[in-house]
Amino acid sequence: MFIFASFNTIATMETNLTPEQSLRVIDDMIRQAKRSFHRISFYFLLWGVLLIAAMLAEYIMTRMGNPPHGASWGVAGIVGGVISSIHGAREGKREGASTAMDRVILWLWAAFVITMLITIVGYGVSGGGTPSGSIMVLTGLPTFVSGQLMRFKPLIVGGLLFWVLGAFSYFVDPGVITWLYIGAMLFGYVIPGYLLKRQEDGLRTA
Amino acid sequence: MAFAPLDPILHNQLRLAIMSLLVAVEEGDFTFLLEKTGATRGNLSVQITKLKEAGYIHVQKTFKENYPNTVCRISPKGLKAFETYVKAIKDYLKN
Repeated sequence: MFIFASFNTIATMETNLTPEQSLRVIDDMIRQAKRSFHRISFYFLLWGVLLIAAMLAEYIMTRMGNPPHGASWGVAGIVGGVISSIHGAREGKREGASTAMDRVILWLWAAFVITMLITIVGYGVSGGGTPSGSIMVLTGLPTFVSGQLMRFKPLIVGGLLFWVLGAFSYFVDPGVITWLYIGAMLFGYVIPGYLLKRQEDGLRTA
Repeated sequence: MAFAPLDPILHNQLRLAIMSLLVAVEEGDFTFLLEKTGATRGNLSVQITKLKEAGYIHVQKTFKENYPNTVCRISPKGLKAFETYVKAIKDYLKN
């Protein structure tokens, strides 16, 4: 009788598979493959913390009497970009497989970054005020879609929260926007990122 | 009742395992397949060649950190053969 105790068995046995054994091989391999996803929790945690820090720095500088000039956003963008690139290159080398979903998520976030840059620069050039509300609304899209693709509820809720708080921010005092933004980043990025990390760690060791 | 004959290329544990992995991921390299199947390097290499010769997978030789790296991807013909094989074994089990 065939015992599917070790995958080494696969390597040595030739044919004589029963239909049940065939289905079991297929099922086992697909389960194995599902553990071969790219880890993305790192990016949510990194960007969540950096963007909260940037917003707080901007807020503190404004309170100290300096007009907002966006330097903290620039520093956060550069630091986050460099760390993300290094981490992404290392992860890419380590991963031996890539799924269609990995590719969709990669391009979704790449498109989001381009849209964000255009929006932020556009606001700066046109003098259209603070872009925080628009940033929150835009951030809701890739967060929500990533959550749906990965069937990960905290990210879906995070995406919805970005949209709700982003929409709300158009109607409130600029001082309140800072806290809406920090709340959106905390509940939309940092907490889902942490929960996602726990899930990724669990799946890797399962 | 007559059953459809099973594809002899796929009716092999290691080749079936390779195809199942490549159905689940878009592409996988040699190390990934080695790790997931637990096969020996030699056997894995032989079975990859057989699948490639049957036109079921595309094999691309690249470099990863200055070392040769073989990347495999399922072909449309391979996907069709896999689906036919799964349907055939399901039919066996139903009857």
